[in-house]
Amino acid sequence: MEQIEKLQNEALTKIADCQNNQDLNALRVEYLGKKGPIQNLMKGMKDLTPDQRPAFGQQVNQLKSQIAQAIEEKREALAKKELQEKIESEKIDITLPGRKPVVANLHPLNLVCQELEDLFIGLGYQVIEGDDIVSDEYCFERANIPKDHPARDMQDSLYIDPNWLLRTHTTAIQMEVLEQSAPHLPIKVVCPGKVYRRDDDDATHSHQFMQMEGLVIGEHVTLSDLKGTLEFMARKLFGQDRQIRFRPSFFPFTEPSVEVDVSCHICNGKGCPTCKGTGWIEILGAGEVHPNVLKMAGYDPDKCSGFAFGVGIERVAMLKYGIDDIRHFYTNDMRFMEPFKRFD
Amino acid sequence: MRISRKWLSQYMDISDLSIEELASRITDAGLEVESVESQSQGTNLVIGQVIECTMHPDSDHLHCTKVDVGDEILSIVCGAPNVAKGQKVIVAKPGAKLPGGEIKKGAIRGQESNGMICALFELGVDPHLLTEEQKAGIEVLPESAPVGNTDPLGYLGWDDEILDVALTPNRSDCLAAFNMAKEVGAILDREVKLPSYDQAASQGGPTQLHVSSKTSKCPMFLGKVIGHITIKESPEWMKELLRASGMHSINNVVDISNIVMLETGQPMHFYDKDAIKDLEITVADGFEEGYTALDGVTYDLLPEDIVITNQGKPIGIAGIMGGDDSKILDSTQGLIIECAIFDHVSIRNTARRLNLATESSVRYQKGIEPLAAQKALDRAVQLLVEYADAKEIEETVQFGKTSYEPLTLTSSFAAINDRLGTDFTSDEILNVFRRLDWKPESKGEEFSVQIPSYRTDIEGMADLSEEVIRLIGYDRLPSTLPLMEMTEGKLNAAQRLVRDLRTYLTQHGLQDCITYTLISTKKKDNAILSCGQAIELASPMSEERRYIRTSILPSLLESLAYNQARHIGNVNLYEISDVAAQEGKKVHLAFALSQKLYETRWTQDAIPADFYTGKGLIEELFEQIGVQSKRVGFVENKMDTEHFHPYRSCEIQIDHKTVGLLGEIHPSYAAECEVSSAILCELELDALMDVKKSKVKFVPISKYPSVQRDLAFVIDRQLPVENVVKVIEKQGRLDKEMVIRDVEVFDVYQGEHMDPSKKSVALSIRFQSDKKTLKEDEINSLFTSIIDHIQKECDAILRS
Repeated sequence: MEQIEKLQNEALTKIADCQNNQDLNALRVEYLGKKGPIQNLMKGMKDLTPDQRPAFGQQVNQLKSQIAQAIEEKREALAKKELQEKIESEKIDITLPGRKPVVANLHPLNLVCQELEDLFIGLGYQVIEGDDIVSDEYCFERANIPKDHPARDMQDSLYIDPNWLLRTHTTAIQMEVLEQSAPHLPIKVVCPGKVYRRDDDDATHSHQFMQMEGLVIGEHVTLSDLKGTLEFMARKLFGQDRQIRFRPSFFPFTEPSVEVDVSCHICNGKGCPTCKGTGWIEILGAGEVHPNVLKMAGYDPDKCSGFAFGVGIERVAMLKYGIDDIRHFYTNDMRFMEPFKRFD
Repeated sequence: MRISRKWLSQYMDISDLSIEELASRITDAGLEVESVESQSQGTNLVIGQVIECTMHPDSDHLHCTKVDVGDEILSIVCGAPNVAKGQKVIVAKPGAKLPGGEIKKGAIRGQESNGMICALFELGVDPHLLTEEQKAGIEVLPESAPVGNTDPLGYLGWDDEILDVALTPNRSDCLAAFNMAKEVGAILDREVKLPSYDQAASQGGPTQLHVSSKTSKCPMFLGKVIGHITIKESPEWMKELLRASGMHSINNVVDISNIVMLETGQPMHFYDKDAIKDLEITVADGFEEGYTALDGVTYDLLPEDIVITNQGKPIGIAGIMGGDDSKILDSTQGLIIECAIFDHVSIRNTARRLNLATESSVRYQKGIEPLAAQKALDRAVQLLVEYADAKEIEETVQFGKTSYEPLTLTSSFAAINDRLGTDFTSDEILNVFRRLDWKPESKGEEFSVQIPSYRTDIEGMADLSEEVIRLIGYDRLPSTLPLMEMTEGKLNAAQRLVRDLRTYLTQHGLQDCITYTLISTKKKDNAILSCGQAIELASPMSEERRYIRTSILPSLLESLAYNQARHIGNVNLYEISDVAAQEGKKVHLAFALSQKLYETRWTQDAIPADFYTGKGLIEELFEQIGVQSKRVGFVENKMDTEHFHPYRSCEIQIDHKTVGLLGEIHPSYAAECEVSSAILCELELDALMDVKKSKVKFVPISKYPSVQRDLAFVIDRQLPVENVVKVIEKQGRLDKEMVIRDVEVFDVYQGEHMDPSKKSVALSIRFQSDKKTLKEDEINSLFTSIIDHIQKECDAILRS
């Protein structure tokens, strides 16, 4: 009995002190192997009296499973320790810079253009584009701009020949849409595009810029519908608190014609340098489509009406992002472009 | 248009309104007041009399004065050369705020000075309106000026306030003060009393005057002889009105012509009767000669210019400026009045070419109402009789006539409200036309209005609706959304493709750019994948902007050079844009890669900007668009080896048709563009939009395992690896099923230990069937056959 106890103490101590799997395996062979002490004890059972044997056998078996369990536990502990050491050795410097995917972004004008397109698509508008080169007829005549208007002088617009020119406004697209659609109603389109004027490039002028024209024609489309539509647009672009106001103006292709101001998004209408202290910023021109325009396109102005508006994409981008020089848009300086990669 | 409080006050009472209130009311109604100016400024001013004036002891130009200002006597040191004892002057007392600052008590070179004797320009008066004498010294008031009067500027009539109104092109009628007054009256809802001058010119005895026109550009000409006039100074009111309009007073007669022009909008010209031989005036064109106008400058006339002639010789440039030899002098005894209608486009062209924007030419260019000539003549005769002793008035001579017909418009209240989306009552609408003095009459649901001759912009109901809303006020306009049939908001297929391309390219690190459509001859000549014969502008603004571009890359390279010159990193650019040529419009996509598309230096990972990066972008792009890879070809560049490195570029083909060019920039062209090496691509997007695309379709995933075999061999250096791949793929059929699923090139080596004319290529082939697990011997037999064929067909030597 003493022998068993001694063996037990010795084995468990050795197992506890064991530092690696190899030694542990050796201990297993040493104690639990065929030539090991436990096997010897079993062999020695034959020397006992029959009535001593069951109790002894039980004790030896108990010792055997105890040692086996201790070895297994030790094995697990060692594995755990080994893993722990491995993990610790794998420590990295998390402050080193990450591998950033290189992504670029949309040009701010295309960004604004898409934003406008999307908001009007949401209202059921189609997006129609046209050619940069348009006929004098669609650019001017159909827009109710008389032959003797200064813009129609060969010297004032970028003409190719007496009948063709680079469009001076996206209204030219509107005129084509009208004619192609007649006599079908309703029409709901936005027409983005590049336009060209004979202007020297400086901080506020560019011989090339972008506009987006909107046109809605239906049986009963009113000036107040224009106001509601533009209010929606202004709020989407510049924030839900924006107000708009109409000021009377003049365009040959609309009557009544209005200039549209939006309450300043910088100062909330209190007055600041951006709005020149007025609390309002002019963003676009608009109006009810002139009856002559509808007539020329093949519609009966007594049976339908509608509105049109033209917004300058640069103007919106400059206001939205606080850009001070229109030439930035066409130099494609990467330092200028970079901030526009933000999700907005 | 400049209109002042004094001008308007002649016709209506506006004394209760500040100039700012007036400006805002006018602006709200559509005539934008751009600025409000005071003719002069200054507080704490008083009329004084110089009672003592001595030289300053320590100065050779200053005077020490004592000035009686009524309630006290001020010592003032004055620097003006014209100051003298006895003069009545304008004194700014201590505390006065002048445009140049505040006046304080003090001493000038030791002498007490408690105020300032003022010149008009020191009180903010525009020097252009002052005489040389006035600009050189203090203002000397008339002897009758009351000492102690605290409003010297008002006393002198320099106290007007001026509105500078920007007129929209449809409202040039408001260039006439009479019409502007009617407009302001309508805006303010006030009664407007204009002078009555109707028929004033209908008097007159027989005349010898003969007027005519040889050009259609002068459809009407009114002439009238005033046999006797007296030249003298104009009355104060006339001088003040001219001043408020930024004009000088010359003498009563010249001033009358100007005042009438300002009142009616009709420029008129007065000739010295004695300078017009045989009393004959003919309007003509077709002159090509130098002509000296009344400003003393000689102008070169061209045949298209309208000219006023006498006996076949020019005496004036019609509508712009008269001649020197027939101008009104102090000695002038009698006049011939010219009041004519000239073609506004012709006047515009001439005035612009000669760089002569006169009050007259500006009015002609903007268009003058049809009845203005007659009104102006009537008013001029009236004023000449009253202020220039006009006598020996002869009857009016008229050439041609106006085509004016009075206009009455009829509309309904419902039509107006329908257009505006408002619910104004009939009374509200009628009230607008009453304010406009259009004599509205209503009959049930309809009403009619009489349109005055000067409102040539009013044609129909739409114009009436605008008058209603602008005069009632846009703040009354409701805000609604159109109620109509549902419409589908959408982009078309081409627009969606452009959006997808933009997303794809920006997500791969290429920056979206926009460059100019108009380019120089040099850029035009360097077009890459040009869409045709470039279109030239009829009259370009500059050499830089002469042609419409036929390709994007030359412009994109300019942006690249710009960024590189500034040492800006990550310059990989693309642009999608229309290009146009005589053959028509196309949509192009171009990109230029100059920097690693991706790099983390400390980990040494990078995607270089080389041919294969460019090619990979295109390959993946085509795959995403749905162009099957077997239809796409990257073939030897035979099209453009001027801009591309001939051995590092290719033509991109779809179904054997070239749709794009891709490759490394030619070193010479790179130097010309001042860029370092770059990978360029120009692609015709129309081709991608038109190409038949494979549909997105589910492909069953094979249940059977795939097997990979590697293979390395040496081939001729010039042999394209693609040829070897094709040979391999041809051997890929087992029981009619294509079991080669993928051939991947994993190594290409040429260099050390290698015959310079050879290269080593290593490939990995993946076999898989959808029908069964491939057996070892089946794969072996396929593999052997592959090796046989590449050895035979590609002259390859197997390495492993």
